Amino acid sequence: MSGKAFFIDRYRKLGWEHSTTRLKQAIRINSANAKPEKTLERLRNLGLKLEKTPFLENGYWVEEAKFSVGATSEYLLGLYSIQEAAAQIPATLFTDVKSKSVLDACSAPGGKTTQLADLMHNTGVIVALDIDRRRLTATANHLERCHVKNTALCELDAREASRLNANFNRILLDVPCSGNPAADKGWFNRRTIKDVQRNARLQKEILAATVKTLDDNGEIVYSTCSLEPEENELNIDWAIRNLNLRVEKIDCYGQEGLTNVFGKTLDASLSNCRRIWPGQTQGFFVCRLKKGEPT
Amino acid sequence: MIKEINDFASLFGSSLKLDEELTVRKQNRIFLIDETLKKTAPKNFFYAGTYLGRIVKGKLYPSFELLTMIARKKANEIILDKKTEWLFICGRDVFKQGIVKTIGPSRKGEHVLVLNDHDECLGYGRILCDLEKTKSGLAVKNILDIGDFLRREKQT
Repeated sequence: MSGKAFFIDRYRKLGWEHSTTRLKQAIRINSANAKPEKTLERLRNLGLKLEKTPFLENGYWVEEAKFSVGATSEYLLGLYSIQEAAAQIPATLFTDVKSKSVLDACSAPGGKTTQLADLMHNTGVIVALDIDRRRLTATANHLERCHVKNTALCELDAREASRLNANFNRILLDVPCSGNPAADKGWFNRRTIKDVQRNARLQKEILAATVKTLDDNGEIVYSTCSLEPEENELNIDWAIRNLNLRVEKIDCYGQEGLTNVFGKTLDASLSNCRRIWPGQTQGFFVCRLKKGEPT
Repeated sequence: MIKEINDFASLFGSSLKLDEELTVRKQNRIFLIDETLKKTAPKNFFYAGTYLGRIVKGKLYPSFELLTMIARKKANEIILDKKTEWLFICGRDVFKQGIVKTIGPSRKGEHVLVLNDHDECLGYGRILCDLEKTKSGLAVKNILDIGDFLRREKQT
């Protein structure tokens, strides 16, 4: 069970007609390091043509650049970061983050960690985890470049988060996933349904382990860049039934999450999730979770 | 740890007042953390708070954040024009013609922070000739510049 035809047929059954997309490069202005309007003015003076991403406060699509946007003084000074538009959404879904304690459970390569620190204006604390030493080094470089001061980066598997002996107000679970064909041209040739199932199991384990470190009134934002329901709606449906979590309404770009997957009816609150099919952005899935029954 | 950092700041005619209690050494790397992070950060962290630099054989290799902290104080500095800014970031030494302003002593052998016209610290270098007397030619040897982030990306 693999191959382009197999997955395209699955997407059709879920309501999306596959088409090849060409992703636009996107940047995010780091508002804590300089006034966004000043940074934008500097970038325009360099000859960069930017278009505001309508669903992001500090996100811009790069319409035209005669040079690499990763090789400017402004980038190296941490005034902006290169981050795909849909990938900028998850960190913005918490109700508030300033002065909070935040767990970024699968943090490398650090784009969302630096975004969280920016949203927090370096207040509170972020504990950022990852298991890959090489990727931790890359994340540390991002933190230094972006002048992040409120973050502790640790080499730890998210499934062992309880070893931190700490509880968090906010948890970002941008979990390892199968990815999607819009962001990876060789995706159809590489992925099989077994990969998807293996990732879905790992994601459940991460959800189950990290929820134990969530404050009673805390929030989890769960996200993947996978289009596969096993890694998204089906996992969240499982979390509602097994981890005493509920899905909160969010106001963000994307379509409602699926409540019926291949004939299986899911919890109605799954419609509060957001599923982003590839188009203007890469594919993504996001939702915000809290403990307990809806209020 | 504080001594190495203060010694380094003094190269630029500057001084920093760091709280020893809040500086943490992890192998050869030094971090400055705040009280909140001190309470929350796991003891075996890989990176935390503000990275100040690493000490190898008694010598401090500073982070850019440390250079920025020194630049915010009174320190020896040169400010570059736009074209020279980019050349410096690419690892090149600085020609006298590219320096638009000098702050503090400008004698041969002195260390200077290198800034752009937005007062942002790009790195540091060592003066190769008395800047006041020199009209042209190589003036400042590049020791460290923020282009290092790109070089690190290539390594990882």
